[in-house]
Amino acid sequence: MSSSGRATPARTLAEQLRAWPDERLVALLRARPDLATPAPQDSSQLASRAATRSSLHRALDGLDRLELSVLDALLVAGQTTSEEVISIVRADPDHAARALQRLLDLALAWEAPGGIRALSGVADAMRGMPGVTSGLRPSSPDPAAPAEIAARIAELSPAAAALLDHVAAHGGEGTTGAARRTVSPAEAASPAEELLSRRLLVPREGDTVVLPGEVGLALRGGRTTTEPVDDVPPLATSPRDAALVARTAAGAAFDVVRRVELLLDHWGVEPPSVLRSGGLAVRDLKAVARELHVDEPGAALLVEVAQATGLVAEGTEPDGSPAWLPTDEFDVWSGRPISERWARLVGGWLASSRVPSLVGRRDAAGKTWNALAPELSSGLTEEARRLALQVLAEVPDGEVLAAGTGIPSLVQRVGWLRPRRPTIFSDLVAAALSEAAVLGVSGAGALPPSGRLVAAGDLPGAAEAIDPHLPRPVEKVLLQADLTAVAPGPLETEVARRLHLLADVESRGGATVYRFTSGSLRRGFDAGWSALEVRDFLTSVSQTPVPQPLEFLVDDVARTFGSVRVGHAEAFLRADDEAALAALVHDPRARTLGLRLLAPTVAIATSPLDVLLPRLRELGAAPVVEAADGTVRVSRPDLQRARSRRGRRPAGAVEARQAAQVQAVATAIRAGDRAEASRPPTVATISPSGALAALRDAIEGGSTVVIGYVDNHGATGERVVDPRRLDGGRLSAYDHRADAVREFAVHRITGVRQA
Amino acid sequence: MNDGPLIVQSDKTLLLEVDHPSAAEARKAIAPFAELERSPEHIHTYRLTPLGLWNARAAGHDAEQVVDALLTWSRYAVPHALLVDVAETMGRYGRLRLEKHPVHGLVLSSTDRPVLEEVLRAKKIAGMVGARLDDDSVAVHPSERGNLKQALLKLGWPAEDFAGYVDGEAHAIDLAEEGWTLRPYQREAAESFWDGGSGVVVLPCGAGKTIVGAASMAHAQATTLILVTNTVSARQWKDELVKRTSLTPDEIGEYSGAVKEIRPVTIATYQVLTTKRKGVYPHLDLLDARDWGLIVYDEVHLLPAPIFRMTADLQARRRLGLTATLVREDGREGEVFSLIGPKRYDAPWKDIEAQGYIAPADCVEVRVTLPDGERLAYATSDPDTRYRLASCTHAKIDVVRDLVKQHAGQPTLVIGQYIDQLDEIAELLDAPVIKGETPVKERQRLFNAFRSGEIGLLVVSKVANFSIDLPSAEVAIQVSGSFGSRQEEAQRLGRLLRPKTEGRSAHFYTIVSRDTVDADFAQNRQRFLAEQGYAYRIIDAGDLSAESS
Repeated sequence: MSSSGRATPARTLAEQLRAWPDERLVALLRARPDLATPAPQDSSQLASRAATRSSLHRALDGLDRLELSVLDALLVAGQTTSEEVISIVRADPDHAARALQRLLDLALAWEAPGGIRALSGVADAMRGMPGVTSGLRPSSPDPAAPAEIAARIAELSPAAAALLDHVAAHGGEGTTGAARRTVSPAEAASPAEELLSRRLLVPREGDTVVLPGEVGLALRGGRTTTEPVDDVPPLATSPRDAALVARTAAGAAFDVVRRVELLLDHWGVEPPSVLRSGGLAVRDLKAVARELHVDEPGAALLVEVAQATGLVAEGTEPDGSPAWLPTDEFDVWSGRPISERWARLVGGWLASSRVPSLVGRRDAAGKTWNALAPELSSGLTEEARRLALQVLAEVPDGEVLAAGTGIPSLVQRVGWLRPRRPTIFSDLVAAALSEAAVLGVSGAGALPPSGRLVAAGDLPGAAEAIDPHLPRPVEKVLLQADLTAVAPGPLETEVARRLHLLADVESRGGATVYRFTSGSLRRGFDAGWSALEVRDFLTSVSQTPVPQPLEFLVDDVARTFGSVRVGHAEAFLRADDEAALAALVHDPRARTLGLRLLAPTVAIATSPLDVLLPRLRELGAAPVVEAADGTVRVSRPDLQRARSRRGRRPAGAVEARQAAQVQAVATAIRAGDRAEASRPPTVATISPSGALAALRDAIEGGSTVVIGYVDNHGATGERVVDPRRLDGGRLSAYDHRADAVREFAVHRITGVRQA
Repeated sequence: MNDGPLIVQSDKTLLLEVDHPSAAEARKAIAPFAELERSPEHIHTYRLTPLGLWNARAAGHDAEQVVDALLTWSRYAVPHALLVDVAETMGRYGRLRLEKHPVHGLVLSSTDRPVLEEVLRAKKIAGMVGARLDDDSVAVHPSERGNLKQALLKLGWPAEDFAGYVDGEAHAIDLAEEGWTLRPYQREAAESFWDGGSGVVVLPCGAGKTIVGAASMAHAQATTLILVTNTVSARQWKDELVKRTSLTPDEIGEYSGAVKEIRPVTIATYQVLTTKRKGVYPHLDLLDARDWGLIVYDEVHLLPAPIFRMTADLQARRRLGLTATLVREDGREGEVFSLIGPKRYDAPWKDIEAQGYIAPADCVEVRVTLPDGERLAYATSDPDTRYRLASCTHAKIDVVRDLVKQHAGQPTLVIGQYIDQLDEIAELLDAPVIKGETPVKERQRLFNAFRSGEIGLLVVSKVANFSIDLPSAEVAIQVSGSFGSRQEEAQRLGRLLRPKTEGRSAHFYTIVSRDTVDADFAQNRQRFLAEQGYAYRIIDAGDLSAESS
């Protein structure tokens, strides 16, 4: 491999990449991340990887309609100048030039000595996308001038002209039947012959004829398409106060944080079980919807977002059955300010591949999708969400998506931006929009400043931007004589927690209405509060004097809250001899009896009397049966937690790491190149990957190489070949010796050198 | 964040911060469509219900106004789902219309065909409609007008009734405004009703519902049937009408258990109408005895179920409902809406009070402790007799005596449920008793004496609860009540809320036995009164005597 190719045009793509400045290489690796993992050894390996089928498809999927059209035009024109390519695209030349530049930056096309050309695999990858490509064939190797072709078309008889139009309209291919292949225009006896004679149709293998690209262009007025390809579908918008957008979004953001907290508080006490198939039962989802005052799709979104953020995960209940539980990360999350919590949820949503919009619908087999079902995800979701936000960010301030037509217009725009995506992508984009509205990323059909920051990937910034619009946490409540307390905004966590213990929640929303009842106050006493503490707490949180009836209620409850503890046990043990009782309770042989000492002279047992009695006798005691009585513990259900899913990193960290990685890869490639350059040029056997890179270089450059090849008999020989395609472990190449295209197994190629 | 006084909750309640500077404006904006549920001192709670929204639609408000009011006054962002729901609910009203067709008579029509299809498919509707006239309308049997409206409301598609009313037999009735004038809200209420056709006017006790009825009759200028709860109330209506209108006593008939007169204006009791003999209602003919141009229902919230059934057949006549509250203990608010009509006028109690028409009341709960002996008896007694035992404790009688002494010189009522207890109190205080067995004549004599100031203390049983005008009572002492119903409470308080001459505040005492079911019921009462915005205090019986001495 020569290191002399510093000048443009390069002989191979690898050579061109080698000549690129670092920034451009970094940009390429960033735009096509699959090229960077694992890090390629040098530029030739990078070039070779860029031409693989899967990588090409991935890159093409990310192109918009204009870029695809320019690429298509490049295929029609063959190797040519950028001016020529731009001239045959029906689009603004500036737009087309920009699109072409992007194709070069993405290494989908490169500047060969004879002009710009598309990578060889592109033609294959572009096939079979009707509506995306023009459907024109590549031009002939030495096409006639457009004026000349136009003249030839003008000479045609009406029948021939009609036939030409027909062929052009039906895929640019036909069969000739009886038509002679080589006739002069004068001799032509049929419309087909007329076209063949004027080289408006060109024969191919068998009796097929094709319409060469230059003729197709001529028929379409010198462009690859009849319709302009750069008219981006407009977004339907209507004017709306930007302040309302921000308020609506903040309202939704507050709601979603509040609901997730409520959901997980609830699940911490009463976790729903995990279905055998891994999801959440429909019944449980309905319960969530009821509890949170949302519809079922809304409930599904909340549950999914909570999971995507790592706030809920599969855990086990004390009895060992799998259940959906809040994670320990939820506890950390609950302690953060609302804006930060919101940003975490949005981050989780953006990065997740889950498709909550499918919950409740049926799959192909007629099975209903459950929320949290493991298979409920799609690789396209993330892109759909980012793209939806990106396009929504284009709606200017003071305007919103128009009611009714706005969302379809946005979906259409996304269709233009990603024509190669399947139809389900549109559904995902539409779903992403409604999810964004529920999550408070967008409001009233537009992005507020916070939403724009989300779209730009700046979540901490978004949290900061939304913060002033969120309801301020309040520390005080209004106590009223009807025994209610109203918190006119989100309460400080600690106050809320205490109030929650002492009163029942009657209504939720921006404000919370609590009601004190004797039952709720008793709950407080159960948790160890005294009447004085309750009254002090009420005085401290109330904006107004504590109403007299409430004080009365507290005192009433305190008066009746007995010091007597009641409950039941299977049996009790009573002994005047304290030592004997203690010995019995601590006897290891009595462990199964569940003995518990309540007082020095009283113990209870959880075993029934008929088990207890014989066992006590075995232990040497001489019990007398008296009666059944005992005490009970007051307990509340423990909050349960699952372990957080590990390995999650904040979104920013991932990007930083990626950036660093890409830089490192670029440097590594450079090092590889330098090593390669400093190595004496040999034609010796090279590594398999080196061979592949060399072969791809040859394909791109259309050059001739000598390969070492082990034939069927095990004999090594050299062949002079023009490589054409490299696919599925086989090289197809024109073999100069055999004067035919032959297939070579790549693993038998021992070396490659320039001829 | 908007600094509005309103907080819209996701459960469709609206919280209004009373002390907020723009609270009054916000209240005005939401009052037409939201029902005031609670009005304690700081935060008033309104609720959005389908009925309330439909009531608003009937009164000419549209969804846009509702949404706008919520957005304008809300402090936080309004849940989007709620706005959608409001628009959808309001959109349901009037999608179906009952109209009079020149050829086919009564027809049910709709501009929204799927809705018509949906309701016609309902089993309940099938028997009430006749032939399909065209795609958008169907004939209705005139006799089913009321039932159909009721059934449609249950299906969630309330029909608007444009079929009109019969004029009824004309009869000249004019207001005689001599020495008094119609208060502005009374005039507004009567006009709102008349413009709406049929419907309910909600005014607190003592705010002059009778006068609203009289004003409506003056609008109608037609023979009128007035349905009231009992005989005493019927006589009061008669007196009031004679005083306030051009009607003479001869033009007004009473139709009750005792007298059966049918005159251009007839006042009948619910009881006589609902009396059943051998499975039929013998007095049902009264409804058709004359060509009534207006039917007035006093105390709509107490309207017995059979009257609903009868009312279903009276849909061609104008109907006016008068009540202090739309809340019915039996939850039949929907039937009032569909059979009598939507709410046409409403004024929050406290607002009227602020205008000076009603004296504010001071509500005090006095707690007595059962003596040890009674406590033991209470603890070991049957659940059915516990309430009685708790209510009738002797400890209460001492408190009554103290209170009466404390308010000596002020007209005082002692109200109770148990006759024995009332008799005992009456004997002790040397005061007359009105109970079930007291003849109507005697009752009226006592009431008149009380009103004129001849008697300063009256002991009354449950029978006195409804619709008896005792304008000068300033103190009421409740010793026992029937299981703390909200309605009863409204009635009792209403008794005290009648306008007072010198703007003195009225006192409402309830005496409650501590730690018994009596106290539990008292809690309901306390909640209701506090929710209505009345100051509510609890004091100990011991403190009371200390206070008075």
